[in-house]
Amino acid sequence: MHDEADETIERIAAALRPLPDVDPAQRARVLVAVAAERERDRERRATRARTIRILGTASTVLAAGLVGALWMRASVPAPTAPRATVAVAASPAVATPSMESPTEARLATHGADGISLQRVQLVFRAPAARHVAVVGDFNGWDVTATSMSRDPATGMWSQTVALRPGRHVYAFVVDDSVWMRDPRTPAAPDADFGRPGSVLLVGQP
Amino acid sequence: MNPPRPLKLLKPAARTATPPPEAASAVERSLLVRAAQRGDVRAFASLVDAYYARCLRFALHMLSSRGDAEEAVQDTFVRVYRALPAYVEQESFEPWLFRILANRCRSAGARERRRAEFVEFGDVPERPSERRHDESIAWREEIELALAALPPEQREAFLMRHVEDLSYEDMAIATGAGISALKMRVKRACDFLRLRLTEDDDARRS
Repeated sequence: MHDEADETIERIAAALRPLPDVDPAQRARVLVAVAAERERDRERRATRARTIRILGTASTVLAAGLVGALWMRASVPAPTAPRATVAVAASPAVATPSMESPTEARLATHGADGISLQRVQLVFRAPAARHVAVVGDFNGWDVTATSMSRDPATGMWSQTVALRPGRHVYAFVVDDSVWMRDPRTPAAPDADFGRPGSVLLVGQP
Repeated sequence: MNPPRPLKLLKPAARTATPPPEAASAVERSLLVRAAQRGDVRAFASLVDAYYARCLRFALHMLSSRGDAEEAVQDTFVRVYRALPAYVEQESFEPWLFRILANRCRSAGARERRRAEFVEFGDVPERPSERRHDESIAWREEIELALAALPPEQREAFLMRHVEDLSYEDMAIATGAGISALKMRVKRACDFLRLRLTEDDDARRS
């Protein structure tokens, strides 16, 4: 019995205590939302690590550029443009492929942060499906973000996605309800909350 | 040869080997929290299973729409997951969970109130329908209406104390308010509900 409670308060509390019915789909949505948060967190950590690496490289190049510029200034009477030298050298990963391989450059695009993205075609066989979407760390596990197109002749669903180099986890969602992993790629060992996923490794362009 | 020593009667141990169900459940949940902190997603899913219905009950009583309540609970678990690495086990898990849930309900409640400003009073029945015959449903609806008429901080305190069975110490962790302020909120809520529902009960019987 609670301190302030009398018979009326006890009756009120008793009427409010029964637990509500839980919609299993809603519980599943909670776990999907948490899985998406987990992937976003991984992505944030990976971005931070990349930023630190890029900053580290940039500062090394900047320091080398400054030393070079000072040396040039001391040895050559005409001044050079050290800032332009540094800007080109600071992003070699972006600049190199487009110079060395024009074919790859057509396939690769660039993300908002300047990192090269590789176009990868994902294919999934589901002739009886009405709708198939691909979800993964690259689209925030959003079921509505990347729908796939069906080839009526083969029953194959396909979609091309632009991915950063590195490891990606993804799955297919059939008819907005059934999660399936890609049988052609390795299963993700850390499948979230029992939902199947596949691992895709994307190399540097 | 020494005579055999008489058998010593042992008193039953003060603590039994099998803990009572609540204690076992508390230990189990503590293990689940620790496993979830280490990144075990299955443990986190079990925590969702263990607390989802209670969280939804609280959110449904705090908010008027089931959709808003479900969204608040989902958001709560996402935030719990995000904040788990910072959770220290000195404070117990339940009030920590309820602190996040209550915050989500407060934000959702504020949004609901802003939306309600655009609803004309004529569109919403202020009193339960006259057509009801089932006494228990009528009583339940009266309670929901009376509860909804309470200021949110009193409603929150009443639910935590009398429905969720939190201690005042846990409520202080969950709300950030002092214990005496919480006691006052609960008392005012009880006074209001008692008065309103006793009147309604009398009116229904007459």
